[in-house]
Amino acid sequence: MSQPVDRRGFARLVAAGAASAILPAAGVGARSRVLRVGEPVEGGELPAREASWYRRLEEGRVECELCPQGCTVADAERGTCGVRENRGGTYVTLVHSLACSVHADPVEKKPFFHVRPGELALSWAAAGCNVECKFCQNWEISQFRPEQVRATYLPPEALVDLARRAGARLTAATYSEPVVFWEYVRDTARAARAAGLLPTVVSNGYIREQPLKEVLPLLGAVKVDLKSFRDEFYRDQIRGRLEPVLKALEVIRAAEVWLEIVVLLIPTLNDSEAEVRDLARWVKTTLGREVPVHFTRFHPTYRLTGLPPTPVATLERAWRVARAEGLEYVYLGNVPGHPGESTTCPGCGEVLIRRVGFQVLANRLVDGACPGCGRAIPGVWR
Amino acid sequence: MSRRLTRRELAALAGGAAVAGAVGGTPSPAGGSGRRPGVVGVAALAPGEGGRVDGAAADRAMAAVLAAATGAPSAAEAVRLLLSPSDVVGVKLNCLGGRNLSPRPEVVDALVRRLVEGGVRPGSIILFERSSRELERAGFTIRRDGDGPRCYGIDNDWDRTPSESGAIGSCFARLVSESCTALISFGVVKDHDLAGVSAGLKNWYGVIHNPNKYHDNHCDPYVADVVRHPFIAGKLRLTVLDGVTAQCHGGPAYRPDAVFALGRLAASTDPVAADLWAWRVIDAERVRRGLPTLEGAGRPPAFIATAAGRGLGVGDPGRLAEVEA
Repeated sequence: MSQPVDRRGFARLVAAGAASAILPAAGVGARSRVLRVGEPVEGGELPAREASWYRRLEEGRVECELCPQGCTVADAERGTCGVRENRGGTYVTLVHSLACSVHADPVEKKPFFHVRPGELALSWAAAGCNVECKFCQNWEISQFRPEQVRATYLPPEALVDLARRAGARLTAATYSEPVVFWEYVRDTARAARAAGLLPTVVSNGYIREQPLKEVLPLLGAVKVDLKSFRDEFYRDQIRGRLEPVLKALEVIRAAEVWLEIVVLLIPTLNDSEAEVRDLARWVKTTLGREVPVHFTRFHPTYRLTGLPPTPVATLERAWRVARAEGLEYVYLGNVPGHPGESTTCPGCGEVLIRRVGFQVLANRLVDGACPGCGRAIPGVWR
Repeated sequence: MSRRLTRRELAALAGGAAVAGAVGGTPSPAGGSGRRPGVVGVAALAPGEGGRVDGAAADRAMAAVLAAATGAPSAAEAVRLLLSPSDVVGVKLNCLGGRNLSPRPEVVDALVRRLVEGGVRPGSIILFERSSRELERAGFTIRRDGDGPRCYGIDNDWDRTPSESGAIGSCFARLVSESCTALISFGVVKDHDLAGVSAGLKNWYGVIHNPNKYHDNHCDPYVADVVRHPFIAGKLRLTVLDGVTAQCHGGPAYRPDAVFALGRLAASTDPVAADLWAWRVIDAERVRRGLPTLEGAGRPPAFIATAAGRGLGVGDPGRLAEVEA
């Protein structure tokens, strides 16, 4: 259902860009170069820009202050994300404006179920990730370095231009991990806002408080993958920690930016009733019962190929547990046609938005409220 | 998570079993007894004008260390013990340090000449690094065809699916997993800010797609887990270290004030012993300069002991035998 932005689209963009400007890649050191909008970049020199969140240490080392990994990076080395490099004591990002995947997706694919239903989101990614989920669905872009992935030079304004052409009213930084291209996310969000679009982010939430707070005011919605409610899972399956993600969720909620949570249930690893209950309780008491939680189905991939897909019954049990704990908007994902994809009024039980897969079949909301009982349904509806 | 090995991995493992056995003294795949656990052959090799090394001197030193590393009477015999004429030999160079801190082309050429002298077909020798660009920066000329030795980068030619090995899960370069039947690590002797030492073992980080994921905890146990994968352990015959100049601090990038003239070329059939030797000479220079040892600096190369524990070689400093050739 998504619409990839094809070569012809890029060609039009190049033509448009060439007429107005040939944009220089703001560079650090001798390796910077000039790129044209829409120019493919693969395997060669990468444009570099000084990163925004780091500090210099002694002897030319730097410490990254973007994510909880807190990498200390020596000259010529990169952080665990693989996209930030120390060049002579200056930390640079190698992925600003290098989009490796661009599609116009239904917003339901992110998934956002309470954000402009049925609209398109111009969705893009740059290479890299700050963790390593053994079950990553997009590992071919998230777990590789930028020089290993085919990309296109698309500065923020070009992405926004593409969004307009595609008829998208939202933008979404997604697919890989937007935290590692946070400067690109920030600058694109600014450009999107200026153009009247709603910028959104789909993230693992593995980010420090300061950079998150700096960019949140620009965003219209954030979806966070809460991969488990057990630190052990984060350590063993992700090479991360749970606590920073919980902190990020609180920060997002406190900033009053629309938040939805996705929990990928993986058989035997994070699907116990006790864990789902703990998670639901925490969401309810810390974030609020109105925060949507999506339980989605795992499919074997990347390094986790020895487990079966999640049984639908497991998803349904999670749904029941979360609802019993008091969460008002609980959804099931990756099970097209299941009733758990639809939005139901917590007041009167009426089905308000009926979905199949990423498609909205009916939207009965009236000014963001249930037409049956008049209850306001939280979300970003306009 | 356990996983069924692929046919390629099983094939590599079969070779590896023989090699692992050879560390313990049984015959190598080439039929000889060239493996000498714990032994590092070392020869003097001083830099000349502009840091370059005289080709004839490099030839002599290379011949000497190959013989010392294997116990063979000559370099040609050493090569015959380790490799067969049908082998496709991949030589992984570590060129991250650029022209100033990479294996010198003239020393690499000396190895190539000895391999050919020992019966390896010139066209079956592949000198490689992560990228062709890095090779060029270090002074190598890219050659993808012809009758002579090839020299080119991996350049993103990876396996399509990741392989598991202990704590790592990575796509390996197809050069390593498919093309080459024998491997040589050709590194330098340098300090590494996180790993402690970057010599022969860590050089293999260059053949996986995601080395950046494995730098925490001083790269331990990840370096050992990369090397013990059948794609490498099953094919690794030799480690050569260009120690004409070395770096005792501030690595892995080149840092002029930390480089010193070590004046040594080293070779070993035991990849763990080779790194142990590199650690020893780096620490010696650090002490000479009044710097703390790597352990004192909080970054001992713990992966060396882990590699020894994985059966990849001798990690006990007391069993390290430096044989001056």
